[in-house]
Amino acid sequence: MSDVSTAVDRLVGGDKATLARALTAVENARPQARELLAALQQHTGGAHVVGVTGAPGVGKSTLCNALIREWRARGRRVGVIAVDPSSPLTGGAVLGDRVRMHEHDEDDGVFIRSLAARSNAGGLAASTTDVITVLDAAGMDCVLVETVGTGQSEVDIARTVRSTVVVSAPGLGDDVQAIKAGILEVADVLVVNKADLPHAEQCARQLRAMLSLREVRAWQPPVIMTSAQTDQGLQDLADALQRHNDESNVEDAAHGSIAFADWPQRLLPRDRFAQHLGIELLAGGGGHASVRMRVQAEHISFNGTCHGGVTFSLADTAFGLASNSHGVVAAAIDAHITYPRAVRINDTLTASAVEESRGRRFATYRVIVTRTDGATVATFTGTVAIIGDKQNRDSQK
Amino acid sequence: MSVKDNAVPAKVLVTKIGLDGHDRGSRVVAAYLRDAGMEVIYTGPWQRIPAVVALTQEEDVDVVGISSLATDHLIVPKLVRALEEAGLAHVRVVVGGIVPDDEVATLQERGVSKVFHPGSSREEIVATVQRLAQEARRERPEI
Ligand SMILES: Nc1nc2c(ncn2[C@@H]2O[C@H](COP(=O)(O)OP(=O)(O)O)[C@@H](O)[C@H]2O)c(=O)[nH]1
Repeated sequence: MSDVSTAVDRLVGGDKATLARALTAVENARPQARELLAALQQHTGGAHVVGVTGAPGVGKSTLCNALIREWRARGRRVGVIAVDPSSPLTGGAVLGDRVRMHEHDEDDGVFIRSLAARSNAGGLAASTTDVITVLDAAGMDCVLVETVGTGQSEVDIARTVRSTVVVSAPGLGDDVQAIKAGILEVADVLVVNKADLPHAEQCARQLRAMLSLREVRAWQPPVIMTSAQTDQGLQDLADALQRHNDESNVEDAAHGSIAFADWPQRLLPRDRFAQHLGIELLAGGGGHASVRMRVQAEHISFNGTCHGGVTFSLADTAFGLASNSHGVVAAAIDAHITYPRAVRINDTLTASAVEESRGRRFATYRVIVTRTDGATVATFTGTVAIIGDKQNRDSQK
Repeated sequence: MSVKDNAVPAKVLVTKIGLDGHDRGSRVVAAYLRDAGMEVIYTGPWQRIPAVVALTQEEDVDVVGISSLATDHLIVPKLVRALEEAGLAHVRVVVGGIVPDDEVATLQERGVSKVFHPGSSREEIVATVQRLAQEARRERPEI
C-alpha cells in the first residue's frame, strides 16, 4: 500500500496524528496533497460546513466557542478552521483565535486548526477548501470556518461553505450600517451578538428591516440575537443552521446533484452507531430500506440470547433510513417493538422497513426483522415528524 | 526535498504552563517570530500539559516555546515526555525566562533544546527557533 492509501485509512478511521499531518500537507501543497485529496473525496459530504464572518471585535471567536459547546452537547464532532491574516510585509502571523476556544483543547471530539491567510488578499486562506475536505473526510459532523470580514472575504466564504453566518454587534461605531447590502446577500443566518449590551434589539430590528426590502426567496435568513457570554440564543443558532442545512440538502436533491435513490447510501456511513454495530445496507430509497447485521458475542444478553436492544437498533436503523429516504429530514417521535422469537449468536438478522402512510407532517413505518432461517424475530412500528421544509417539498412535486 | 521547503513558514506554539500569569514576555517573543515571517500560535497563560500536547498535535507545530518567570520551567521535562508519548518526539521545546544556571543543564539533559535568558537578543531567538524548526521538519513524517 502506498503512503497515501495508508494515510487515508488512518484518517477516515479517526487517527488525529494523521489528520494533523494531512492538514499540513494540503495547507503547504506538498507533493502528495493532490493524490491525498483525490482519495479523500469519496469520504466527504457528511459534514455541515458553516462559515462565521464579521468585523473584528464583534465576538466571532467567542461565539464560535459557544457554538462548539452547543454542538458538542448535541453529540456532534466538530472541526474548526480559524483563519487569521498574514502580515503583508513579512508573511508571518500571530494566530490567536483559538485562545477563546480554549475550553475545547482537550476534547477529542473537537479538532481546531489555525490557518494563516498567507498571500491571499481576500482574507480566506487559499487552502481553505482543501482543509475542509480533509476535516470532512475525517468524520467531522460540523466544520466551522471563522474568518475576519474584509468585504471580499464574506463573498469568498459564502462560496466555500454551505451555511454563512454574518455576525454583527451593537456599539461598534456604525452598527448595522457597517453591514453592507452585499453582505446581506451572502448571509444565510444573521447574528446580532452581545445581546446583553444596550441597543442590540435595535440592531436586530434594523437588520430585519433591511432584509424585508429584499425579494422573497425560498430561504429567508433569520436574525438571531446571541450573547456568547450568557449562551443566550445559541440553541436558536444551532437550530437555524440545522434547518438551513436540511433545506439545502432538499434543494440539492431537487437540482439533481444528489439523487433521492442514493439517500440511504449516503446516510448510513454517517450513522456512527450503525457503523459500530456493523450494520450494512441491502437496499433503500423511496420510503423503504433493508439492512443486515450478524449477531456477535458482544450482542448477547444475560439470558444467552441476542439483546433486545440490538434487534431494536437494527429495526430502528431501517426505520430511520426509510423515513429519511425522500431527502427531507424526518425525526423519530415514537416506536414500538414486539419480539415473537429469540435470536442467537451468529444469526444474520435482516430488517426491512416499509412506509405505511406519509402525510404532510407525519409518516409511519412498519419494520420486520427476520433471522437466517427466515423466521420473523421482531415486528416494529414507528412514527416520524417530518421536519424538512414543506414549501420546498410541495414545489418539488 | 523540494524548493518549497524554505517557502513554508516555521510554525511555533508560544505558551505558558504552570502558575505564573505574566504573559508580556511571551507576547513580545510571539511578535518577534511573526516579524521574522513565522506563523505563531499564541495561547494565554496557565495551560495544562495535556492541552499543550493537544495543541501541538492539532496545529502540527515545529517548535513549542514555553515562557517561564517563576519556577514553572521545572515542569517542562514533563511536557517533553508527554510530547514523546504522543508521538511528537520531533517537536523541539525551548524555554524562555529566568532559569538558574544549574537548572539549565538539567533541562537540556531532559530534552529541552534551548533555554533563552532575559538578555537573549531578538536575533538569537529568531535564528535559533528557525534552525530548530528546520530540524523538526526533517524528522517529522510527511503524512
Ligand atoms: N458583552 C459581550 N461581550 C462579548 C460577547 N461576545 C464577545 N464579547 C467580547 O468581545 C470582544 C471581542 O471578542 P472576539 O471573540 O475576540 O471577537 P472577534 O474579533 O470577532 O473574533 C472580547 O472582549 C469578548 O469578550 C457577548 O456576547 N457579550
